[in-house]
Amino acid sequence: MASTACFIIVSRNDIPIYEAEVGSAVKKEEAAHQHQFILHAALDIVQDLAWTTSAMFLKAVDRFNDLVVSVYVTAGHTRLMLLHDSRNEDGIKSFFQEVHELYIKILLNPLYLPGSRITSSHFDTKVRALARKYL
Amino acid sequence: MEPDVSIESGCMIRVAVLPIGPIPQSKLRDYVSILVRHNKVELSAISSFYTEDQKSPFANQPWDTGSLRFKFNVGWSPLSPWEDFQSNRKILAVIGICDCPSSPDLDVVGEQFAVACKGYTSSLVQRCFAFCPGEDQLEDGGKKGNNLVLFPPADQQTQEFHLLTMMQDIAASLLMEFEKWVLRAESAGTILKTPLDSQTSLSSEEVIKAKKRRLGRAQKTIGDYCLLAGSPVDANAHYSTAIELARLTGDFFWYAGALEGSVCALLIDRMGEKDPVLEDEVKYRYNSVILHYRKAFMQDNAQRVSTLGFELEATLKLARFLCRAEHAKEVVELLMTAADGAKSLIDASDRLILYVEIARLFGTLGYQRKAAFFSRQVAQLYLQQDDCWAAISAMQVLAMTTKAYRVQSRATSSKSLSSSNENGLSHADIGKMQPQSVVSLFESQWSTLQMVVLREILLSSVRAGDPLAAWSAAARLLRSYYPLITPAGQSGLASALINSAERLPSGTRCADPALPFVRLHSFPLHPLQMDIVKRNPGREEWWLGSAPSGPFIYTPFSKGETIDSSKQEFVWIVGEPVQVLVELANPCGFDLMVESIYLSVHSGNFDAFPIHVSLPPNSAKVIPLSGMPTSVGPVTIPGCIVHCFGVITEHLFRDVDNLLLGAAQGLVLSDPFRSCGSPTLRNISVPNISVVPPLPLLVSHVVGGDGAAILYEGEIRDVCISLANAGSVPIEQAHISISGKNQDSVISIADETLQSSLPLKPGAEVTLPVTIRAWQLGLVDPDNAGGKSASGNVGRLSRDGSSPMMVIHYAGPSCESGDTTTSSSTVPPGRRLVVPLHVCVLHGLSFVKARLLSMEIPAHVSETLPKFVHKENSSTEEFAGSKTDCLVKIDPYRGSWGLRLLELELSNPTDVTFDISVSVQLESPKNDDNPTLIDRDAADFGYPKTRIDRDYSARVLIPLEHFKLPVLDGSYFMKDSQADDASNSKSSISEKNLKAELNASIKNLISRIKVKWQSGRNSAGELNIKDATQAALQSSVMDILLPDPLTFGFKLSKNDMGPKTQIDSPNESNSQVNYIACKGSISAHDMTPMEVLVRNNTKEKIQMNLSITCRDVAGENCIEGNKATVLWAGVLSGINLEVPPLGDIKHCFSLYFLVPGEYTLVAAALIDDADDILRARARTDSPDEPIFCRGPPFHVRVIGTA
Repeated sequence: MASTACFIIVSRNDIPIYEAEVGSAVKKEEAAHQHQFILHAALDIVQDLAWTTSAMFLKAVDRFNDLVVSVYVTAGHTRLMLLHDSRNEDGIKSFFQEVHELYIKILLNPLYLPGSRITSSHFDTKVRALARKYL
Repeated sequence: MEPDVSIESGCMIRVAVLPIGPIPQSKLRDYVSILVRHNKVELSAISSFYTEDQKSPFANQPWDTGSLRFKFNVGWSPLSPWEDFQSNRKILAVIGICDCPSSPDLDVVGEQFAVACKGYTSSLVQRCFAFCPGEDQLEDGGKKGNNLVLFPPADQQTQEFHLLTMMQDIAASLLMEFEKWVLRAESAGTILKTPLDSQTSLSSEEVIKAKKRRLGRAQKTIGDYCLLAGSPVDANAHYSTAIELARLTGDFFWYAGALEGSVCALLIDRMGEKDPVLEDEVKYRYNSVILHYRKAFMQDNAQRVSTLGFELEATLKLARFLCRAEHAKEVVELLMTAADGAKSLIDASDRLILYVEIARLFGTLGYQRKAAFFSRQVAQLYLQQDDCWAAISAMQVLAMTTKAYRVQSRATSSKSLSSSNENGLSHADIGKMQPQSVVSLFESQWSTLQMVVLREILLSSVRAGDPLAAWSAAARLLRSYYPLITPAGQSGLASALINSAERLPSGTRCADPALPFVRLHSFPLHPLQMDIVKRNPGREEWWLGSAPSGPFIYTPFSKGETIDSSKQEFVWIVGEPVQVLVELANPCGFDLMVESIYLSVHSGNFDAFPIHVSLPPNSAKVIPLSGMPTSVGPVTIPGCIVHCFGVITEHLFRDVDNLLLGAAQGLVLSDPFRSCGSPTLRNISVPNISVVPPLPLLVSHVVGGDGAAILYEGEIRDVCISLANAGSVPIEQAHISISGKNQDSVISIADETLQSSLPLKPGAEVTLPVTIRAWQLGLVDPDNAGGKSASGNVGRLSRDGSSPMMVIHYAGPSCESGDTTTSSSTVPPGRRLVVPLHVCVLHGLSFVKARLLSMEIPAHVSETLPKFVHKENSSTEEFAGSKTDCLVKIDPYRGSWGLRLLELELSNPTDVTFDISVSVQLESPKNDDNPTLIDRDAADFGYPKTRIDRDYSARVLIPLEHFKLPVLDGSYFMKDSQADDASNSKSSISEKNLKAELNASIKNLISRIKVKWQSGRNSAGELNIKDATQAALQSSVMDILLPDPLTFGFKLSKNDMGPKTQIDSPNESNSQVNYIACKGSISAHDMTPMEVLVRNNTKEKIQMNLSITCRDVAGENCIEGNKATVLWAGVLSGINLEVPPLGDIKHCFSLYFLVPGEYTLVAAALIDDADDILRARARTDSPDEPIFCRGPPFHVRVIGTA
């Protein structure tokens, strides 16, 4: 498991709809802010990069210091972004694919307004389990 | 590292611009701004200043197209240790700027400039520009050395031209200096050192190596000067040589430098070309440059001096060159590489410069978020320096990031806001938007980041000593993110706001609102007292048809209009205060004191009145904000001006509406109003408000207090209503009408008083008396009845809308009274005043029940028939035949047949006593033909007033004997007699007619009975007992109204009385002497002659069969049977008699009582051949049925011993 990992889902309107610190490192608030800043900044690159490839998994698109940003863009242009310091690309890809499935299940909920915050605790639990499994 | 580097910076001549002597900041800025415009001087323009002393080394100088470029460093710039390596790092010229009015002594200026120039050893040209010299200074300045240039005061254009000339002079001088330097370097060679190799211990081998390298380095430097001189072709030639030499000597650092120079030369040479091949070439060469700089990086002296800066600069230069959207990927890669290098940079300021440059390049690329990210890194680096200036820089840098993080101050974003307004995103539109597009309104809600950025702005502006920026940041932070901040943090922000405000001048305005949240609650409609009614000039009743009216309180058609809020219209009147309700919310955990809040009106025709509000933690409050329109025109109210935390801010309703909309969709953190426990409101938009010229204004109050008049049921009272014109326009028309419930309780309104006082001038007053009779409290509102005595209910009773309302429509003068052709729009509207006549009706006397009492008090059989009440004065003759009604009215105390009383049972549940008086209106008996009603007081009949104490009941008796008709004839049953020989169907009609007649007569009867009450001094009224009386009398009205067809009377025959009494035994006389002596007493064992008188009350002859019975006290018939105690003489039964119409007949008989005691004589008659009148009277339909007529009983007291 990666020591630092911050997972975030950004809706097509650039709103973060799910955030989770999934790293094993001791969580510091300051660091969490920094992670979000990096992920937020990476959106600019994703925005251009997403149109250059047909693959959903964009691999590592951005980095800052030792932290790498990997992105998975769904067909609806929802971006699953992971900030990590490990280099386990296969694991990250699997992680993204499984989270994507979970996200689709959330979308199928008729009470969920696409683009609004994901508050399901079940989703949260599952995502954290996947993070332990793959990262 | 240096900021703002690009590939072209290799050809820029660096000039230090120094202020000499004291110069005001603004002037210095002006002078510098006109100076820096001349950063490029054409070679063609300087030829006049250029003198070629010797053959120029710049053989290929493009005199036609080339130019010299300058880079102005304002203020003192440090000397770079690398200036030998890159000549463009040298300060090659110094320009002093002097403001003559501030520095009068030009000698001192010259000295100061000379001192300043000493620091720049590398400078080749020095000039001091003195602006705005005085007359004497001009004269004086002429004698000074060449270095001081005076700019005589002139207009802007002349001065600029003068400056341009001076710059061309400087350029020419520099060019000549460059030539000298190159010639010297070519001939004599030069020692060029960099920090990289100066300190290395020189072993013999290295000395040889250095000597080899020197040539290449010289060539590179000459190339630099060629570039500076604007001759790229010459430069390229020198660079090529240098590259070769450096490659041969393995001097990677200088190799890279020369290569960099060659690229610059290439670009200058091909200026303006956009060639992909050229771009590839530049890219290729620069990658090589970067590579070689990296090669030059030596691990051993990395701690002391590093070439990393050059590598990064080269990277940035390439990135800047490529910085276009089509190369975005490469640029991003380059910049990420550069950012990675930041860790290795030793100098913090280098890192700062690097981040600044990266941020700028990302910004140029359009990657705003990336730029913001690096800007924030810059700000953090600044904040690490404990320095006010660094804090100001940090604050400014952070301010630039606010756009990307969407936490802009409204001051900076007002333009974009207003433009989005013009796009027409009014609230109504948002309401109709799809949920998806609602989401887009709340784009980029990265609340964590936003909070961090705002907190950093707050921190930096506090450190920088900018209280307004600090206030603004704290306000944004508190307003937008209060749900994410702990109460302690909220209080901290509040104190930050207050601390900042203390350092601001009072009355400071800030574009960013803090707390509270303000939303529009409602626009109160005009109170009923001030309603405006459109005038319909075509009609006399101008108020009709102007307002939508219909039978429905709720009409489905008008509903559509109210939903479309944009069509909502309000009319305000100049000079009349209005109110708008707004709701304030303080969702934070501290007490919020709003020093003042008032409506913000941009149209300028409204005076808003500020009020002070304090909001406890987590609370919401609806407050009325009032103001007064001052002039005609539309009014727009976008929000409120709030003075809170020491700063004045404008709170727009629209912002809060958007926020609430977002909260409803779950997109925003929290709804501040709901978290304060305020109910959700329908969104209210500001309606179109227009202000109209002054109208009259009628104000009413009830004389003697505006409270509800408390009346008992049925009470009648006058209420005086005072009407005053509080407006500034006279009232010319007024019309009063009554509406609401219980309208008929208003008996009269003195309308003529109002009409006569028109026109009512402003300030004039008129008093209208209104007479009200309290209505009956119905059974439908039992709660009212229950609360009759509780004083707390008085207000509620008067409020519950059962009171009638007086509606006054009034209007001022119509503008053109003479001109009838004016359109309706020019007529000023009228108004409507609704005066509720507050009446609180209390239960007064309550009527329990009414019933008819009929009693028969038997008359004593005596010598005479009973006397009649109103015949006291007439002769004692019983049958004064002319008086036909003699038999009808009989003194009830003397015995009567059919004494009937109406008994009313009344109870008094109130706290006061009531006096009841009964009055009966009688038809005058004198004028039967022309009946006039005479109201006789009860006293006339000798009835005292009845007093009913509180909580008691009482019965009031009303005698009904005055209603008997004298004669039973067909007139009463008029219809009946007509239907004599008609068919059955007709008789059924007559039946109905009979009923109708009956009811009419009952009503007539009842209406003549009045029960009045009085309580205390003021309250008086009438009891409404009609229904109850009618019910009581319904069944027996005929008995009351109509006389019996036959009346019977008994009396003793006079003739035989005398001797009989004398026979009385003496022993009886002792105890019963009175009886004996009494005329008409009867003794036992004595033959008593009697006669029965039968009177016919009809106008027809009656045939009948009379019979007389006598009963004892036990009711036994004592004439017939085994134990008869009375003997008789004459005929007692089966007497056939015929009585003439309205006549009477006597029948004589004698009785012999065996036993003394009380006896009752009853006469009865069976009427033969009864006609219809009789039949109707007897209430029988079948013609065969005999009609039996029984007389009232007569008492006979028989004295004597058994």
